[in-house]
Amino acid sequence: MSVVQARNLSKRYGTTVALDNVNLDIQPGRIVGLVGPNGAGKTTALKAILGLAEFDGELSVLGMNPRSQRTELMQQVSFIADVAVLPRWLRVGDAVDFVGGVHPRFSREKCLAFLARTKIQPTQRVRELSKGMIVQLHLALIMAIDAKLLILDEPTLGLDILYRKEFYNSLLGDYFDEQKTILVTTHQIEEVEHILTDLLFIKEGRIVLNASMDEVGERFAEVLVNPDKADAARALKPLYERQIFGKSIFLFDGADHAHLAQLGELHKPSIADLFVATMKGTYA
Amino acid sequence: MSITWNDNAPIYRQLRDRVVAMILDGVLKQGDALPSVRQVAADFQLNPITVSKAYQELVDEQLVEKRRGLGMYVTDGARDALLQSERERFLREEWPMLYARLKRMNLDLQTLMQSAGSNGAQS
Repeated sequence: MSVVQARNLSKRYGTTVALDNVNLDIQPGRIVGLVGPNGAGKTTALKAILGLAEFDGELSVLGMNPRSQRTELMQQVSFIADVAVLPRWLRVGDAVDFVGGVHPRFSREKCLAFLARTKIQPTQRVRELSKGMIVQLHLALIMAIDAKLLILDEPTLGLDILYRKEFYNSLLGDYFDEQKTILVTTHQIEEVEHILTDLLFIKEGRIVLNASMDEVGERFAEVLVNPDKADAARALKPLYERQIFGKSIFLFDGADHAHLAQLGELHKPSIADLFVATMKGTYA
Repeated sequence: MSITWNDNAPIYRQLRDRVVAMILDGVLKQGDALPSVRQVAADFQLNPITVSKAYQELVDEQLVEKRRGLGMYVTDGARDALLQSERERFLREEWPMLYARLKRMNLDLQTLMQSAGSNGAQS
């Protein structure tokens, strides 16, 4: 059974189309990256999945309807929002007590064990914590919940590199297993590149790329081409072209790799390169 | 720890090569346990599937064995088997090119051995 299945998922804000007939299938045990420029519809899609926003079309999350079965669904889904805020007056210990009181699948022991590895003290108030520590607290609360689906919306936004590394380290080392599924949006693509199993690109409310990382590696190729062969490369209809040190770099989708290798040095593009090529013209 | 992967080979392959190098260098000895998939995934910030794939390659090559419920262990004779295949690969792929080059430069065995000795590389 798909963890998330969407058919013709659409959402409008007035005349603005935030989601435009999105079709999705997310399988269990996957770590899926939802990547797109600001305003592409990422947060809207997550809100629909979480039952936080109305939408048109069909959507099933863990076999449930997020609109009508939200309470039941929330026992199996965890979420860290990009604007995650905890009341500034709240003490860490009270936050743990609160989640323990409202969530049936929360393990107090696990949460305290995660917190013990940080500098966060149970007696501290949220306002005394740094931005990085607040994210650590969120993560400790969330990782202690035995949920099937974890949704992360820009979880490491504004954090320094130490906290960012630590964040994914904890997720992979202490949380993730093949029974769980993670859906993450981020602008720091290069950091999650090797963690993801699947990649979704969203542009102006549409899914423009939906592939496993293995497929991405097979489909896309970058070739470093000398000027004399540049026209031959252009004839193969590259997705994108840029110049560097008097050579041209072409990015191809689906072209025969052996054929491309005759034009020049072949590379596997990074997700960041793919992103730039796919999203060109977005803000123009 | 920050590791850079090159983009010419799949990461699982590069991870496999790393473990192979560790066995060849004697960092991992026969009977030693490999770190768990989860541990490697967290340390290198990799997807667990990638790590499993690398380990599976090593199992297929019989350099590593899975012990039920315990994890992965370097097999007896893994280093000898690797040395053997590395020697064969050197003789097949690298030596012909190296030999041709030495001939072109007119370097004889005696000069080479003297040079190796004076550089302290004699064994």
